Amino acid sequence: FSSMFHSIAGKANLEKTDLQPALKALKDRLMTKNVAEEIAEKLCDSVAASLVGKKLASFTRISSTVQSAMEDALVRILTPKRSIDILRDVHAAKEQGKPYVVVFVGVNGVGKSTNLAKVAYWLLQHKVSVMMAACDTFRSGAVEQLRTHARRLQIPIFEKGYEKDPAIVAKEAIQEATRNGSDVVLVDTAGRMQDNEPLMRALSKLIYLNNPDLVLFVGEALVGNDAVDQLSKFNQKLADLSTSPNPRLIDGILLTKFDTIDDKVDPPFSSIYCLSEVGAALSMVYISGAPVMFVGCGQSYTDLKKLNVKSIVKTLLK
Amino acid sequence: MVLAQLGGSISRALQQMSNATIIDEKVLNECLNEITRALLQADVQFKLVRDMSTNIKKIVNLGDLAAGHNKRRIIQQAVFNELCKMLDAGKPSFTPKKGKPSIVMFVGLQGSGKTTTCTKYAYYHQKKGWKPALVCADTFRAGAFDQLKQNATKAKIPFYGRRMATFSGSRYSVMVLPRWPNEIASDPVKIAVEGVERFKKENCDLIIIDTSGRHKQEAALFEEMRQVSEATKPDLVIFVMDSSIGQAAFDQAQAFKQSVAVGAVIITKMDGHAKGGGALSAVAATKSPVIFIGTGEHMDEFEVFDAKPFVSRLLGMGDLSGFMDK
Ligand SMILES: Nc1nc2c(ncn2[C@@H]2O[C@H](COP(=O)(O)OP(=O)(O)OP(=O)(O)O)[C@@H](O)[C@H]2O)c(=O)[nH]1
Ligand SMILES: Nc1nc2c(ncn2[C@@H]2O[C@H](COP(=O)(O)OP(=O)(O)OP(=O)(O)O)[C@@H](O)[C@H]2O)c(=O)[nH]1
Ligand SMILES: [Mg+2]
Ligand SMILES: [Mg+2]
Repeated sequence: FSSMFHSIAGKANLEKTDLQPALKALKDRLMTKNVAEEIAEKLCDSVAASLVGKKLASFTRISSTVQSAMEDALVRILTPKRSIDILRDVHAAKEQGKPYVVVFVGVNGVGKSTNLAKVAYWLLQHKVSVMMAACDTFRSGAVEQLRTHARRLQIPIFEKGYEKDPAIVAKEAIQEATRNGSDVVLVDTAGRMQDNEPLMRALSKLIYLNNPDLVLFVGEALVGNDAVDQLSKFNQKLADLSTSPNPRLIDGILLTKFDTIDDKVDPPFSSIYCLSEVGAALSMVYISGAPVMFVGCGQSYTDLKKLNVKSIVKTLLK
Repeated sequence: MVLAQLGGSISRALQQMSNATIIDEKVLNECLNEITRALLQADVQFKLVRDMSTNIKKIVNLGDLAAGHNKRRIIQQAVFNELCKMLDAGKPSFTPKKGKPSIVMFVGLQGSGKTTTCTKYAYYHQKKGWKPALVCADTFRAGAFDQLKQNATKAKIPFYGRRMATFSGSRYSVMVLPRWPNEIASDPVKIAVEGVERFKKENCDLIIIDTSGRHKQEAALFEEMRQVSEATKPDLVIFVMDSSIGQAAFDQAQAFKQSVAVGAVIITKMDGHAKGGGALSAVAATKSPVIFIGTGEHMDEFEVFDAKPFVSRLLGMGDLSGFMDK
């Protein structure tokens, strides 16, 4: 272990073999945080590529050089490429006289409807007027569920009952919002399995027909190895099944049920494979390039947070 | 379904071992490593996988095996038996009897599929001539009452519950939430008891109680579940688990078992891509068998679970009757 900390200051240029032990240690550490192995590996490769041939500053250890290169890489990945300032985008849309439209998508039972209500509450706190669109026209009680939230938050809801085409309901909701001057329309959709072709096609239609400002993928922190598959398949199916030449993909991620996950890990065994929301977040962002816009951590309206990139990176490298 | 994929990688590992001319420690280790990897990728708990691997090594003591013994067969059988052991709770769960009133309570994490599954369970029995009834003791989740009621209506199954009553007019204060202060709080324990009493009078032989989703980190929610159970004295508590759950499965399942007498497990959303390794964890943590699996959102997408064929399928080995313990 100690060999990892050898100072090789004064040596000429860094070679891959110099970096290997420190990289290996770093990769293992990422994996204990539930970063998918494949992704940890790719990260290490890119860190190596960025360091090979460089000179080591005098009196620095390889391990700390590698660590800070990794820190940069992680911050780069987790820092959103597109604006995640929803409020600013809402105002921009308002100036154009259009409502800002958000569609919530994801597999069954992850928390789409509940977190849609939390986002509504958050927007209300920022003096933004909100309308809900009940476009889960399939699951029993889905419309009443949304109606309950709308009543509690005292905001309008657009609903057309069950068995209607959700793409059309969304369209009418947006028209209604334009008429009544709502700033934002939050569109609830039915949960669906990422492999369910007909349902994914219907979702793709809803998105194509309504061209929302934000397609928000909702995933739960409890999920295991399926997390990356869910997200990448949603993206892939939205692309493949779209009838448009420029299909819309997932723009952002909302991770729910953080409160159901234990942070502490029982050291000898479970650590390597214990689910840590932090790693799931990184894997999801890495695979999709979409930022984590919100984090759900409970069942009341106030349980919605923002992801803190700095503290995530710190946890990942701890 | 991805179980087939998992079966694929395990049987590939066994196949590779079969191809080796000499089976020594190294070949066995390689095979076990492959299997371990496949199980971990299926979200089986780390500790269970490690134990399984250790057990197999113990059973298959290569040095002790006299020449002429079929080592491959012994290893394959050990893998098969260990997987069965993981899924086999040892004893069957309580099985309700037609015509004799039984109370069955559904519990589980938020969104795992309780409400959907208890309707499927009722419908399954109704088709076999039972008289099931559904009681909604979820007074928390928005729309829970309507969800179960609409399901029950579709299946023509009697239903009991109370819609959340609300104060009208008063502006609702959101800051002091958790359990919606401007609504007249309904007591899930009271509703459950009322429902059970009514349906006992109506001679229903399968009274099914749906409860709110909860998680072990919130003690008050577990206490509520314990009270519903204490007041209604269910003959069977069914723990409903989502097949996509990761390593958290074991701890959550175990916590449920510690609060109420979980007697059986149902794994949902098996139509998805998830490998369902959480099933193994749930069995291990609750020491209860999996009795059904959910394979879709519709009422009839529900199958009886049977451990041995499940493992045969898991291993991708077709007919294994010769393999099973005598
Ligand atoms: N503990 C916890 N529970 C949550 C959180 N978000 C949602 N839930 C719960 O998860 C369950 C499912 O939430 P829903 O919002 O109905 O999920 P959904 O994705 O809309 O479900 P479908 O529309 O049926 O696919 C409910 O019991 C919610 O209260 C969270 O952040 N923490
Ligand atoms: N694809 C699929 N979806 C399922 C299955 N079982 C349940 N669901 C869906 O999963 C979501 C959540 O199911 P619910 O029955 O509401 O879950 P719950 O455990 O009652 O949720 P809470 O009461 O909020 O804790 C719904 O969208 C269901 O339609 C299944 O076997 N397959
Ligand atoms: Mg929903
Ligand atoms: Mg429910």
